[in-house]
Amino acid sequence: MPEEEMHRSERLKHLGYEPPDESDWVTGLHPMDELLRGERLPHIWCQGCGLGTALTTFIGALQWLEKNRGWDLDKVAVVSGIGCTGRIAGYVRLDSFHTTHGRAIPFATGLKLANPELKVVVLSGDGDIAGIGGNHFIHAARRNLEITVVCVNNFNYGMTGGQVGPTTPHEARAVTTQYGNFEYPFNLPYLAAASGASFVARWTVLHARQLEWTLREALTHPGFSFVEVIAPCSTAYARWNPEGRGLDPEGLGRRGLEVMKHYQRVGRTMHGTHPKDAEIRVNEKGEIVEIIEGKFLDDPKPDLKAAIDRQAALAEKWWLAEKKALDSRPRFPKRTDRVPRTEVQLGGFGGQGIISAGRIIGQAAAIYDGLEACFTQSYGPEARGGAAGAQVVISSDPIHHPHLIQPTSMIIMSKEAYSKYVPTLAPGGTLLIDSGLVKLREDHRQDIVTYGLPATQIAEELGNNRAANTVLLGFWTAMVGVVRREAMRQSVTDSVPPKTLDLNLKAFDIGYEEGLRQRAGGHPLVGEG
Amino acid sequence: MSEPRGLLTGEHFLMGDYAAAEGAILAGCRFFAGYPITPATEIAERMSVRLPQVGGIYIQMEDELASMNAVLGASWAGVKAMTATSGPGFSLMMENLGLGIMLETPCVLVNVQRGGPSTGLPTLVGQQDMMQARWGSHGDYEIIALCPISPQELFDLTIRAFNLSEKYRVPVLIMTDAEVGHMTEKVVIPPPEEIEIVHRPQVRRGDVEPDHFRIFRNGRTAFGNGYISPMTAAGEGYRIHVTGLTHDERGYPVMNARAHEWNIRRLVNKIRAHRDEIIQVEGKDLEDAEVVVVSYGISARTSLWPIELARREGIRVGYLRLITAWPFPDEQIRQLAKRVRAFVVPEINMGQMIREVERCACGHALVLGANRAGGDILEPEHVLNVIRQAAGREVQWERPTGAAFESAEE
Ligand SMILES: Cc1ncc(C[n+]2csc(CCOP(=O)(O)OP(=O)(O)O)c2C)c(N)n1
Ligand code: SF4
Repeated sequence: MPEEEMHRSERLKHLGYEPPDESDWVTGLHPMDELLRGERLPHIWCQGCGLGTALTTFIGALQWLEKNRGWDLDKVAVVSGIGCTGRIAGYVRLDSFHTTHGRAIPFATGLKLANPELKVVVLSGDGDIAGIGGNHFIHAARRNLEITVVCVNNFNYGMTGGQVGPTTPHEARAVTTQYGNFEYPFNLPYLAAASGASFVARWTVLHARQLEWTLREALTHPGFSFVEVIAPCSTAYARWNPEGRGLDPEGLGRRGLEVMKHYQRVGRTMHGTHPKDAEIRVNEKGEIVEIIEGKFLDDPKPDLKAAIDRQAALAEKWWLAEKKALDSRPRFPKRTDRVPRTEVQLGGFGGQGIISAGRIIGQAAAIYDGLEACFTQSYGPEARGGAAGAQVVISSDPIHHPHLIQPTSMIIMSKEAYSKYVPTLAPGGTLLIDSGLVKLREDHRQDIVTYGLPATQIAEELGNNRAANTVLLGFWTAMVGVVRREAMRQSVTDSVPPKTLDLNLKAFDIGYEEGLRQRAGGHPLVGEG
Repeated sequence: MSEPRGLLTGEHFLMGDYAAAEGAILAGCRFFAGYPITPATEIAERMSVRLPQVGGIYIQMEDELASMNAVLGASWAGVKAMTATSGPGFSLMMENLGLGIMLETPCVLVNVQRGGPSTGLPTLVGQQDMMQARWGSHGDYEIIALCPISPQELFDLTIRAFNLSEKYRVPVLIMTDAEVGHMTEKVVIPPPEEIEIVHRPQVRRGDVEPDHFRIFRNGRTAFGNGYISPMTAAGEGYRIHVTGLTHDERGYPVMNARAHEWNIRRLVNKIRAHRDEIIQVEGKDLEDAEVVVVSYGISARTSLWPIELARREGIRVGYLRLITAWPFPDEQIRQLAKRVRAFVVPEINMGQMIREVERCACGHALVLGANRAGGDILEPEHVLNVIRQAAGREVQWERPTGAAFESAEE
């Protein structure tokens, strides 16, 4: 029997090896105990599983960083998803979060953004990171937030018993692909790099030293770093595939060892390989025949948090401006008259400022006239295709019903709005139209009072047709008289771009004067004035 | 107390969604993760502008699964955090809402409800996620859900939501709706010193011997409560472990029935033991009522008109508004059921909270729903007629005129 196929005990005998006397056994503290939750041991992992090595290389890297780079390990947080690999979070004596399947990366994103002092590391399985959590993985790489993602790839879903996963090689076998995997796997380094990761590496657990060195680098990399760790799953994957020699009667440990030997045969270290070429090649039986390993990419770029921080100064400026406007608002004398429930409908098309006109009325009533005011705008299909509708309810009393029951006045700026809203106006109500845009129908309602003025034309003459809504607001204020003129002017002032303020106030005043004039003259287009 | 920098004390004419954002900021929220969805998007939009002004972080995640988890992560970094969504996103958040419950993580989730199921009516109102709010994540738990009726209340209740979540270490839901979220009204933002702000009791570096610290412990704490233990944050030196698995006091997984009993009773009892403190209702004219309208959110608000009209018809109608839908005010309904003829439960769904009213009425009083599928608020005459029916009066289907409503308001 060739030596490599012998069972350990046989081989040891063959080599003339004598086990040490019990008195020579190493006892006491293991050098890694400080970073392990000893009270949680023994761990749940199978004999021959690669996860132990993945964990110890990670701990080794941290210890090195503590010793040589002065890292405070109290500031390191580990986040895992669900799976055998996910259990790592439960064994490290660090702040550690065992989250849900696939969601370790977004959890880590929240941790890191909320406390940038933390060094946040995600350790999870290939199913967790590239399957159910694949979307989070590519987006984290794209964002380039400084977190390190270590994905232990054992080519299958270990925890649930060895089902096929997103990294299972083509034609390889798993408990759910016993005829061979008909899908193709991800090349994780390539996926990470294409998504924007600025540090990308891969090692098998056989190369524990190299892996540990790479982890040190990844953990200190400014920006998103990704390390794929290829590890044997002795219980599941190795059982179904030739690398582990199938069902080995001599036990799991041996099966894991066989996989490690296989890694030794097929692993090829090629630093700097383009991630696209950093392949895990398989033969037609799905047996892995080559694993390219090494550090493929190390190309730092500005980190997300730094980019966010740069916006703070601008944000502060915006706030100061808003605060100043808020604090410098004039106070108007309180109104003592009672305003009954008054409903206003505004209608037109997008771009005419219908929504903002409605808001201006509401704000004037609520803030400067001390009334109750409820402003709503039309959403839904009716707000598509360019139609715009706004509703305001004003009252001295609480407004229980926010929608219009029967509006008593209306500002209409388009033909469509005319057809849609005019039938709902209360008998005796006041309809105000932009007479340049809206033509009255022959059968126009005679039981309402209709006034018009060519608001858009007036605004154009003032130099900006976008002030047409303001002309109509002035007109409405004079005609309907529920909200005071000063309140409306102030609300206009608050709402229009400062550069257009003078023009808008002029537009408002023209509309207002025209309103007073038409009302006094009693010359509505239709109806009794 | 939150720092005054970035606050906007004063009177505003604000959209409900914006008011929620302002409430959050005043409550000390400094992290928001979300994903755009009508009609909750405006909360995210406002937060994206406002959080950088107060030194907070806004981030748009790749989906709602990510949003919910980022919020939990931020909370474990010691920062008050919030997300906002609507139906489809609420469904996506359910699994990790459960994680938040299991890890006893304070955070706030706003659901601006729209019509469902599925994509449903993106822009229009619904109240159809009320039972999902209660039972939507798998497993057994208790939850807190608040239902505002106006932008001002969306502001106020967002602050309360943060306070409750910090106090009870539980995610708190704000179950508002498209109508309240998109409506614009006056909102008064008071000076910060007038607002009570609760912070989680947090153990900091050096406070306790790390080995003695227990992240989940039954026993008396600063809050005098048996089930809420102080939290700590990542980076404070306690090297904590938390897991969505059933766990013990240290957060370590323990897979057996006894541990599960301990775990779940803790989650449930910490809310049940404080029902009286948490439950908030608004009652009106309940003393002599023969019919009581029980409602919440926008449907409670729109019921006030028909109630007024019914009273003018001589029906003695009372009003009980659920400011907290969850926990449900069992006791109040039980007491009322013994002396009223009927309950009317208006809601924009096919009958969800009515089940709770029926459960507590225990057959002692008639329970009638006023329901519609969503897309619009309840018509006043609809609710009025159900009140009439509940009182044993004739139903009339002609619509009351605007004038009738106007005088009813006075
Ligand atoms: C939402 C959800 N779906 C499914 C599961 C069941 N589940 C637990 S672990 C796991 C697979 C883990 O595989 P992988 O991430 O590759 O980790 P490994 O166990 O191989 O280390 C699955 C599917 C779950 N916990 N949650
Ligand atoms: S099932 Fe596989 S991955 Fe999981 S512990 Fe066992 S060997 Fe490791």
